[in-house]
Amino acid sequence: MKLDTFIKNFEEAVEDVEVGTLTAQTRFKDLKSWDSLAILTVTDTIDMEYGVVPRKPDFESADTLVELFEIVQTRIKK
Amino acid sequence: MPKCRFSDVKISGIVTCIPTLEKCIDDELELFGGKVKQLERLKKTIGLHRRRVVDEQTTAADLCEQAARYLIEQSAVEPSQIDTIICVTQTPDYSQPCNAAVLHGRLGLSKYCAALDVNLGCSGYVYGLWMAHTMIASGGCERVLLLAGDTISRLVNARDRAVAPLFGDGGSATLVERSQSSAATFFSLQTDGKGFDNLIVPAGGARQPCTKDTAVAVEDETGNIRSLENLFMDGAEIFNFSITEEPKSVIELLEYAEIDADAVDHFVFHQANRYILSNIAKRLKLDIAKVPMQTVERYGNQSSASIPTAICGELATALADRSSARLLLSGFGVGLSWASALVEVSDLAVFELIDYTA
Repeated sequence: MKLDTFIKNFEEAVEDVEVGTLTAQTRFKDLKSWDSLAILTVTDTIDMEYGVVPRKPDFESADTLVELFEIVQTRIKK
Repeated sequence: MPKCRFSDVKISGIVTCIPTLEKCIDDELELFGGKVKQLERLKKTIGLHRRRVVDEQTTAADLCEQAARYLIEQSAVEPSQIDTIICVTQTPDYSQPCNAAVLHGRLGLSKYCAALDVNLGCSGYVYGLWMAHTMIASGGCERVLLLAGDTISRLVNARDRAVAPLFGDGGSATLVERSQSSAATFFSLQTDGKGFDNLIVPAGGARQPCTKDTAVAVEDETGNIRSLENLFMDGAEIFNFSITEEPKSVIELLEYAEIDADAVDHFVFHQANRYILSNIAKRLKLDIAKVPMQTVERYGNQSSASIPTAICGELATALADRSSARLLLSGFGVGLSWASALVEVSDLAVFELIDYTA
């Protein structure tokens, strides 16, 4: 699982975000289109790509994309 | 509950009754704070559009009664031949007696008839079918009338974006009978009660009776407004539950029945919303043409009535065109509870959608 692929997956999952515009340090909850619908589409993408369903506390505890990436990675290893 | 198999039981007809009052999300821009873009995204991504709802005088029992009368008429069955009436609903007329007893009286059924309610929602139709099969297989019943219907629109707060635009109403009647010539049917039923508070009406039962405080509508952190007497849904949790448990239970049932997914003619899932339906279909790699999903966009999420509405509304013509068809039915929701069934229906069965007339 690679960080840049993860970011690309995230960018594709969220409406109004162009691929290549986000970085590991992006605070994704500050994105204009981050809302309950975005949580669903990102959950779907992460489940399809990595076989892990991120839960509400996962989204709450991560601020940046790299933090979300690390949480997903830990969940995969479990 | 482990999986189970029945033989010599058939579904001989399904009728669903739908209220005529239509609401459309396009007329509810103010619910989304006037944000056209947010509304358009919900239409496009989740597939929210139109829904049919009852007025304040109409209940699930009324819709189910009309469906039952029509079904009995079409099936040439005498009310006296019905051995059990089961009502699946979470919106009964009274906290007691049960809807089944009330409707037993209204339909003029025999005194030698069992009557009971089942307090389940989106998984309830499949649960009701399973109970009907069990009763017939046990030898105690020849004919079971299964009524499944809800009026969830009366439980949602109109200012709660998480539920108000989703739910519609409907009532269904299904006749299940003994039949020597019918194919085997298969069921699986599951529960995860730890998720009980992800979809809940907190007040109104014995745990928290209605008071003047429970009726007060309060704004939550996301700006949605509801009281403790309204339906609450944690959309993200319900979505996660649907995409993890549903595909798994469908695969397990097909394996148990030793039937290939290709040999199933239609996969009729609870019509939660188009996004969940297409996600389940994607995870199961199903041919989308075999998965009805127009129902929810036309009528809304009808809880226990959604599977019968999808069968009557989207499949009636296809089912009449072939001598028999294999259907996989699967419902999931409040409880949390989920159930799947593999059934075969013949072209001789009645499948009709009717409009409610007061």
